[in-house]
Amino acid sequence: MVDVNESLTRQVAALARLELSENEIQTFSHQLSQIIQYVEKLQEVDVSAVEPLSHPIEIPTFLRADVAHVSPTAGDGKPKVLQSAPEVLYDGFKVPPIL
Amino acid sequence: MPNHSIPFRTIQEVHSAFESQKLSPVELTQEYLAAAKKSQLGAYLTLCDDLALQQARAAESLIQKFGRVPREEYPLLGIPMGIKDNLVMDGVRTTCASKMLENYVAPYTATCVSRLEKAGAVTLGKLNLDEFAMGGSNENSAFGPVRHPTHPDRVPGGSSGGSAASVKADLCFASLGSDTGGSIRLPASYCGVVGLKPTYGRISRLGLVAFASSLDQVGPFAKTVEDAALLMDVMSGHDPQDSTSIPQGRLNSFATTRTAPSWSQLRVGVPKEYFVGGLAPAVERSIQNSLNWFQKQGAELVPISLPHTQYAVSVYYVVAVSEASSNLARYDGIRFGMRPAGSEQAKDLNDFYRKSRSLFGPEVKRRIILGTFALSSGYSEAYFHRACQVRRKIVGDFTEAFTKVDLIIGPVAPTTAFKLGEKSSDPLTMYLNDIFTIPANLAGLPALSVPCGADEEGLPIGLHLMAAPFQEDRLISAAHAFQNGFELGKV
Repeated sequence: MVDVNESLTRQVAALARLELSENEIQTFSHQLSQIIQYVEKLQEVDVSAVEPLSHPIEIPTFLRADVAHVSPTAGDGKPKVLQSAPEVLYDGFKVPPIL
Repeated sequence: MPNHSIPFRTIQEVHSAFESQKLSPVELTQEYLAAAKKSQLGAYLTLCDDLALQQARAAESLIQKFGRVPREEYPLLGIPMGIKDNLVMDGVRTTCASKMLENYVAPYTATCVSRLEKAGAVTLGKLNLDEFAMGGSNENSAFGPVRHPTHPDRVPGGSSGGSAASVKADLCFASLGSDTGGSIRLPASYCGVVGLKPTYGRISRLGLVAFASSLDQVGPFAKTVEDAALLMDVMSGHDPQDSTSIPQGRLNSFATTRTAPSWSQLRVGVPKEYFVGGLAPAVERSIQNSLNWFQKQGAELVPISLPHTQYAVSVYYVVAVSEASSNLARYDGIRFGMRPAGSEQAKDLNDFYRKSRSLFGPEVKRRIILGTFALSSGYSEAYFHRACQVRRKIVGDFTEAFTKVDLIIGPVAPTTAFKLGEKSSDPLTMYLNDIFTIPANLAGLPALSVPCGADEEGLPIGLHLMAAPFQEDRLISAAHAFQNGFELGKV
């Protein structure tokens, strides 16, 4: 049984790129510990020789034709994909200098 | 009708009123928009007045041109609908009830919504939900909760709370929601409307903002099973742009509501694991009365067992959060979403991501952390991998059961709608509320909730019907007969 302590919560939050306050670390550690204790009952099921199932309906994969489509443009002629960008520079996404 | 004077129960009745010129699509749309603006329920996040009126005017000219409603090509002509705000519409804000997407305007329209529009529907606006559809009470919306339509101190259920409440309160005629662990059926049950979760793959997920991709399905809310069937017919059918869309053509479920089910050939499974205590007395009585009704029509009630039911919530809260942690990795503040103050001063890329992702609400953060844990090196074997193995056992229970029965009937939820704030401090208690709805998502089954009673306070109770994959017609035909034949009352 895993011990969900604050250090594990911090470690997982770092992997998930989430910034948590001290308060959140405490609350989440407590809640995650309860949830993980609950799902621990999965360990009692005999799953020997059971293939994991990750997709409920087993159908073949349908591949689309590999055809390029022009990006749709908004009324102002700019690509629509840029309309919700936090910052735009010419026809690209602008990002802060962080590298 | 609480807010205005729309005396219609079904789409067919609205169309008859259009044809006899008692009502025009523009008048109907204006009435709904006015009611939505006046409402205090918190059901809408965005109203699309201009678009809706433009669609209503187009419907009006078609009726004038044909001298009737051309139902064959436009089965939803002039019908005002609400859309859950995790389905994208070209040029309309899609927030997923999250600060992260507060100003996000989608560049295309979800396949299911464009099929409704092509069938003549009027899209009134976008409906409130739990943030990224994560929750069962609609209290997790970053823009405030939705209230229960008849008991404002109660929750409407979630995550499609706005979709259920708006149909019940006549703020739209029908609506769309999405169901990952019960998010259509639970609010339908709490609010007293019909809500249907189709077979996984039946309706395209293109344009549905992903939460847990192997569980998510779009489905309709309506006052009647026959309207839900009509919406299913319009939205179903293969979509080459969704690789998990099933290859079958469109459903013809509405037609099945025109003939009575062959009761003597219907075997109804009653799982013993769904009646093991914990059900509110009024819920248990309503379900029992409903089962008796089916038996009286000539259906055979068959006791069955779904032995892995007790593991369903555990499997779900490992699989769903794992898929969510992966899907929500895309919210990094680079190409869309908000950049909070301070992100410009980030010291490196990871710091930038952390600052951008601070806009997620507490339930979303909790699930991302849980999912990241279940997938992380050293733990993924014991949690994610094992949950997927137990998932196959749960699917096996259903495969076995459906060799003996045609439908499975039971409760949607252990209780009626609870009070706002009652469960919000304890995530595990909230998760356990999904025990009866989760299995259908894990197994990809079609399932629906249809009103079957009310408790002492008048809070609605839903009856849960499940069928084998692809058997929507069977589900719809039985539920339609039940809705029209069963005497609803307090028990």
